[in-house]
Amino acid sequence: MAPILFQDGMEDVLPSETNGTKSGRSDTVDLNDSTLQVDISDALSEREKVKFTVHTKTTLPDYAKPEFSVVRQHEEFIWLHDRFDENEDYAGYIIPPPPPRPDFDASREKLQKLGEGEGSMTKEEFSKMKQELEAEYLATFKKTVAMHEVFLTRLAQHTVFRNDHNFKVFLEYEQDLSVRTKNKKEKVEGLFKSFNKSTDEILLAATQKDVDDYFEREKTFLLEYHMAIKDATTKADKMTQAHKSVADSYIQLSSGLSQLGTIEGPRLEKFINKVADTFEKARKVEGRVSSDEDLKLSDTLRYYVRDGSAAKDLLYRRLRCLANYEQANKNLDRARAKNKDVHAAELAQQNACEKFEHISNKAKEELNDLKARRVTAFKKNLIELAELELKHAKAQAQLLKSCLQSLPEE
Amino acid sequence: MADSREPPPLFNDDKEDDNDDLFSSAVQSPVSEQTTTPEDQRSPEDPLTPPPPAASLTPEPHNPGTPPDLFESVAEGPVVVQGGSPKLSSVPLDLPAGGNGGEGKQQPTFFPTPLQEVSLEEEGDEPDIFDTMSSPKLQLNQDTSEPPVPPSSILPPMGAPLTPPVVPITPTATPSLTPNITPAAPTPVTPVAVARSSPEQAEGDGGDEFIQITVSDPQKIGDGMSSYMAYKVTTKTNVSYFRKKHWSVMRRFSDFLGLHRKLVEKHLHSGRVIPPAPEKSAIGTTKIKLGSDKNADSGSLDFIERRRAALERYMNRTSTHPTLRADPDFREFVELDAELPRATQTSALSSAGVLRLLNRVGETVNKMTFKMDESDQWFEERTQQIESLDAQLRKLHASMERLVNYRRELALSTAAFAKATAVLSSVEEHSSLSRALHQLSESTERTQTIHHAQADADFYVLSENTKDYIQLISAVKDVFHERVKTFQTWQHAQITLAKKREAKAKAELAGRMDKVQQAQEEVTEWEGKVERSQEEFERISRAIKKEMEQFDVMRVKDFRDMVIKYLEDLMTSQQQIIKVWETFIPEAKAIS
Repeated sequence: MAPILFQDGMEDVLPSETNGTKSGRSDTVDLNDSTLQVDISDALSEREKVKFTVHTKTTLPDYAKPEFSVVRQHEEFIWLHDRFDENEDYAGYIIPPPPPRPDFDASREKLQKLGEGEGSMTKEEFSKMKQELEAEYLATFKKTVAMHEVFLTRLAQHTVFRNDHNFKVFLEYEQDLSVRTKNKKEKVEGLFKSFNKSTDEILLAATQKDVDDYFEREKTFLLEYHMAIKDATTKADKMTQAHKSVADSYIQLSSGLSQLGTIEGPRLEKFINKVADTFEKARKVEGRVSSDEDLKLSDTLRYYVRDGSAAKDLLYRRLRCLANYEQANKNLDRARAKNKDVHAAELAQQNACEKFEHISNKAKEELNDLKARRVTAFKKNLIELAELELKHAKAQAQLLKSCLQSLPEE
Repeated sequence: MADSREPPPLFNDDKEDDNDDLFSSAVQSPVSEQTTTPEDQRSPEDPLTPPPPAASLTPEPHNPGTPPDLFESVAEGPVVVQGGSPKLSSVPLDLPAGGNGGEGKQQPTFFPTPLQEVSLEEEGDEPDIFDTMSSPKLQLNQDTSEPPVPPSSILPPMGAPLTPPVVPITPTATPSLTPNITPAAPTPVTPVAVARSSPEQAEGDGGDEFIQITVSDPQKIGDGMSSYMAYKVTTKTNVSYFRKKHWSVMRRFSDFLGLHRKLVEKHLHSGRVIPPAPEKSAIGTTKIKLGSDKNADSGSLDFIERRRAALERYMNRTSTHPTLRADPDFREFVELDAELPRATQTSALSSAGVLRLLNRVGETVNKMTFKMDESDQWFEERTQQIESLDAQLRKLHASMERLVNYRRELALSTAAFAKATAVLSSVEEHSSLSRALHQLSESTERTQTIHHAQADADFYVLSENTKDYIQLISAVKDVFHERVKTFQTWQHAQITLAKKREAKAKAELAGRMDKVQQAQEEVTEWEGKVERSQEEFERISRAIKKEMEQFDVMRVKDFRDMVIKYLEDLMTSQQQIIKVWETFIPEAKAIS
């Protein structure tokens, strides 16, 4: 695939998160006088891979230069996320969800199908559909860049995460991080680990009783919510897809009509051409409806699916911690009973207790924060969605009205 | 009288305008007046006839908008006139066609001439109908087809009126409609047209003649394999030759097919375009037959609705055609209160059905193999145009079907999303966000309904009509083919004549007097045949030309109407969507 240079047009594509965080950061900047601004200034698409240029501007003393850029690939983002995820110090935090893999398969498939069907349509139609596909591809590309950027900015603005060593390496290290994709063994290991984790989760959920009601409620809520929002996301995706198909089918209608116009001759030709033109314009509006729905609605839902997942992870970690704590308690009791290794057990128990409390507190904060973030994001996006839908519907109505008025009354 | 050309310049050859009044007012008296003076015709419209006729003339100017029927447009004129019955009498027939020259002809008879088919020519009775119709019609047709013909020229009264088929009254108005209809009138085009129009007009075109048919209430009669669907056919009309103004009858699907078959048998060879009937569908019908009323699933309900709409369109198209409308079989179909005799021959498996199938196959082969030596440029062009129109419409129809499918999918997926959002809203603990999500769910539910309705509009307004057109074009192709067949007959006759002549010459040479006698007879016989078939060929060519004009007008108008209606539907949908989102925005803003 030809490399697509992605320049600064990105700002508008960024989801609300980033904007929010950017402003948040400026606040922090004033307070702490330490800036860490991260963005993706460029992106290149090469065959299967996408290369992101991560650009950092900072006034933090630990960094060698105040401004620098490195090139990163998707796998390296995942590596960074995994480092955070594994880090026990961060157990009490919601780790920002990793960006999804850049997926151009759908677009590629459509392009292929279009190529196959080239013979059956007129040149005009073909070029229009091709344009549509290219626009779609570009939109997908922009989205994936935006999602990678959001991930980084969340880390950068988080008071604790921004100081993480791995993060620094990620931003600074000029060479390739040589994060090779897991080879077979590691993949199997990874699978195994996640399998273990989920069974553990289930086990814990079944056996571990939470001392804190709040967390118990949160857990139930999150689980339910997660399912509901996942479902909503899938349905939203299907809806925007269907919308796009309707818009695309207008293309054929429009070109079919123009051809009819030439056959019909002077009597109907002008009339038909006007109508064909209207359909073409309507198509563009419908297409925009579809992509706006996708951006504002589906993406918001999708993001919170992932964030919710991260929150669930947090709860799991806490629960595990609790289990460990209780286990440590039991060990201590046993040790005291046997009167050996009491001190070690005491220490272990104390550790576990501290950890647990620390996690619990942090978790409470994070969950509240998540809720607030979610509400704000939804509000913003729903308002924007509604306004855009309104705008487009008005545009279409206007378009149709002027077409009807201008149709020459024979 | 050009100035009197109030009515739209329709003066088509028929010059029916004069006739506008014709029908409406007392045809008799005024008629004579009017008819006598060609000029009168012109002015008579106004002066002569009471305003109504004139009104009819003018009002009609292209009532494109009026009756959606194909032929109706023409009829519009007449419709207007209705009010002016008085005019009829007086004006009767100004016989718009100026042709009143035939004055006597046209008017007096209020259509004495037996419309061939148009028994409707009640002539006098319905002067109104005819009048108004005729005149306006003229206009209508005229506009489209030809530049206004000076009134005087319109009615080639001489030739036309005389021809029986030319029901005087209507002729003027309807000329445009079915000019070609009068098969029997080989008279000069204009007069014929006029004349023809009259019969046709008389039939119903009369401009003021208004006939509207609705097909409703599909009911399943009987049970199991012997059951069938019956439809209520309601007719509203003011056409004279119908007994009532408004009535209904029950008909079953095979009745419709039977009617179509009879009309084809009678009129195809006259060069008329017979609107095609909806297709049979074994699968759909069997499903209906075997299914019970209760569990009529949406699939079969859909099928029934499609069929009902198709039948309605079919009836209205057929009734717009003046000649067809006057056909006794048609009239019996819409009028007869009892059950019609089973049109068993329409059944696919009957012997007649099989025969028909074989015939059709033979014809298709014929179509493909016989290449006619086309001498007429017009036909050459039109045939090509028809072919490319056919291909293009099919493509367009395919893309319309795709649009319908996608939009239906959109409606479905939107509904699913609405439900998912409702669930989400119930789970959401933040109360105002939950409320907003609930509102979102409701708004989406409403948009879903809108999409669904729009998909239906896509289907019924756009896709089905286009499909009808494709079928109509097949009917046109059939008519063209009839002409080709006539040509073949003519050629064949010519060849045979040559052979007979040869035989006669040989007999003469051989001095066989008896053979010569016989040969002479044969030669005469074949000469006659040649002449007749040539006439037939020319007649059908002319008839087709007129039909095609009419067809074109109707087609163009229908297409425009269809597209405009569709665009209006689209616009309404968008406006509804606007309302939905407008109500949602404050809710979203209310999230605290």
